[in-house]
Amino acid sequence: MKAARFTLEAVDWAPWLEPVSAETATPAQRTALEASPQAGSAYFRTLAHDVESLAERSPLFHAVMYVPRGLKRAERELATVVTSIVNGCIYCSSVHARRFVELIKQPEIIRALYEEGLDTKLAPRLRAIVDYALKLTREPAAMTAADLAPLRAVGMDDLEIHDLTNAVAMFANANRLMQTLGEPALPDDATPRAAA
Amino acid sequence: MTTTSPDLLERIIGVAPDSPLSNLRARRPDIVRHTQGSHDVLLCPADPGGLSLSERALIAAAVAEAAGHAALTRHYRQLLAERGDPPQGKRLDTIRQHVERVATAPRTALPAHIEALCAVGLSGRDIVALTQIVAYVSYQVRAAVGLALLAEGAAA
Repeated sequence: MKAARFTLEAVDWAPWLEPVSAETATPAQRTALEASPQAGSAYFRTLAHDVESLAERSPLFHAVMYVPRGLKRAERELATVVTSIVNGCIYCSSVHARRFVELIKQPEIIRALYEEGLDTKLAPRLRAIVDYALKLTREPAAMTAADLAPLRAVGMDDLEIHDLTNAVAMFANANRLMQTLGEPALPDDATPRAAA
Repeated sequence: MTTTSPDLLERIIGVAPDSPLSNLRARRPDIVRHTQGSHDVLLCPADPGGLSLSERALIAAAVAEAAGHAALTRHYRQLLAERGDPPQGKRLDTIRQHVERVATAPRTALPAHIEALCAVGLSGRDIVALTQIVAYVSYQVRAAVGLALLAEGAAA
């Protein structure tokens, strides 16, 4: 059954293209899959059809989300949840909301964003992150230098703003792959609906 | 790709090597490397498979335009002009419609849209490559916008 709402529960993903199988993967596909966060997942095995782009994207994703220093990991995760909510990506929001909660143990922040919306009351630093992620996701062409002022006001330096920008941008990418090559599924129903 | 080829994102934003922004980006070398590397394998692959180089440039230009990024739109239109327009027809119409959907309303995609791409001759690899190009340019636009704001601040 298709997962239909934002959740803190685990969600599966069902591809619309038959993924590359572990048995028939070429050596290049195998290498690219092994460098991906979950080599066996249907999502990465689907992306492995175009092996060169997967081999570039996995290290890019890793650098954006996990490279040390700069913006705190939990704050990168929060930004990707906001982007995923704006873009409607139930799968990405579930994965990264759970990572955020693992890191800072405050599920109530995610619940407020899901249930009350992105304008829910938040601490000033989180509010600044949410507002920046929302606008850069929805209206990149409308961004001006004034959009950095709230980030500066809560003490963010250039490296943190750089990292925040890249996290939001990376999920403009992830949300499109995830929502147009397959769909979120409730666990135990991750079978492909269409094969090609 | 040669190491002397200029970084596209910095060219688009208009920052010089050794500028504050360029030095800031150098603290994240893997992001710089794989942002350019993703561009190169998606827009200039040695083996484009069943998605032609012209089609790839056209897709990227359409995404940059839909996101309202003038400099990237110009860049990809120029690339398309160098490569020549792909042939008009049902295949290109189907590709254009899907690109528009993935760029602007990804949550509305359905399995039938994948089947429509298969029906006009795209393979699994071609469909993944098309989707990766749309997703990449969507990333690139937002990275370019945010980095340009940082560069503006540093210049002020």
